[in-house]
Amino acid sequence: MGELSISALLIRFVLGGAAVVASTMVARRLGEKAGGIFAAFPAVFLAALLTAGLDLRGEDLVSQSIVLSKGAMVGMGINILVAIIAGFLLNKYGLKKGLMQVLGCWFVVSMVVVAITSY
Amino acid sequence: MNKDLLLRFLLGGAAVMASYLIIVVSPWEILGGIFAAFPAVMITAVLMTGIKSGTKKAAKIANGSVYGMIGGIICAATVYMVLKWSHNWGLSMLVGLFFWLISSVLVSSLKERIALIKIKPFNGKMVLAESRLRDHK
Repeated sequence: MGELSISALLIRFVLGGAAVVASTMVARRLGEKAGGIFAAFPAVFLAALLTAGLDLRGEDLVSQSIVLSKGAMVGMGINILVAIIAGFLLNKYGLKKGLMQVLGCWFVVSMVVVAITSY
Repeated sequence: MNKDLLLRFLLGGAAVMASYLIIVVSPWEILGGIFAAFPAVMITAVLMTGIKSGTKKAAKIANGSVYGMIGGIICAATVYMVLKWSHNWGLSMLVGLFFWLISSVLVSSLKERIALIKIKPFNGKMVLAESRLRDHK
């Protein structure tokens, strides 16, 4: 179990909420495809970088951010696959069932990738 | 309208916060690793659009997010490279964000152009066939 940081929680809350609102507003003005781009705003990655910026300084911050960037590249690769599957499953099974299956797919793919990269 | 946006803000923020809580509280390291890249914003945006505007529009949001996520990989790669090159944390984040937006929009418009090119040869053949038919007459 890690250490809970209130500032890390707040940064994630603000970035996550702002990204969903930006996605909605862009979708309303420019269409769903453009809104989708903001739905993929790297909020989690940026929040992790900002939190590292609060806790660390100098070379420690740089090396921690490099580790985070490497992890984010793998995570976003998984998310691209999940987003492609989501477009298909939502059209085929509807919102509720489709979204549940999307979450299931994400969990299984992530588990396999994390297991492969950890061992 | 403002209430709707506030609800979306609260849900989006709560989803990203919840994935962080799972990482911190989880006794299994593997679960923390999995939730570190949970697409909370995309899931919330898709869910809210689906509830408000229907599944088809929600699926379009999911399709559009593919371009944003390709931009996300480019953003992370840019942050990585700028950090290696300059060791400047703030600059790496700014350049990374800029490249995320530019590359997402570029990939999205490139995909639309490719789709148009795929349609054009078919139209060209149709025009050619029509003109041949006219000549034959």
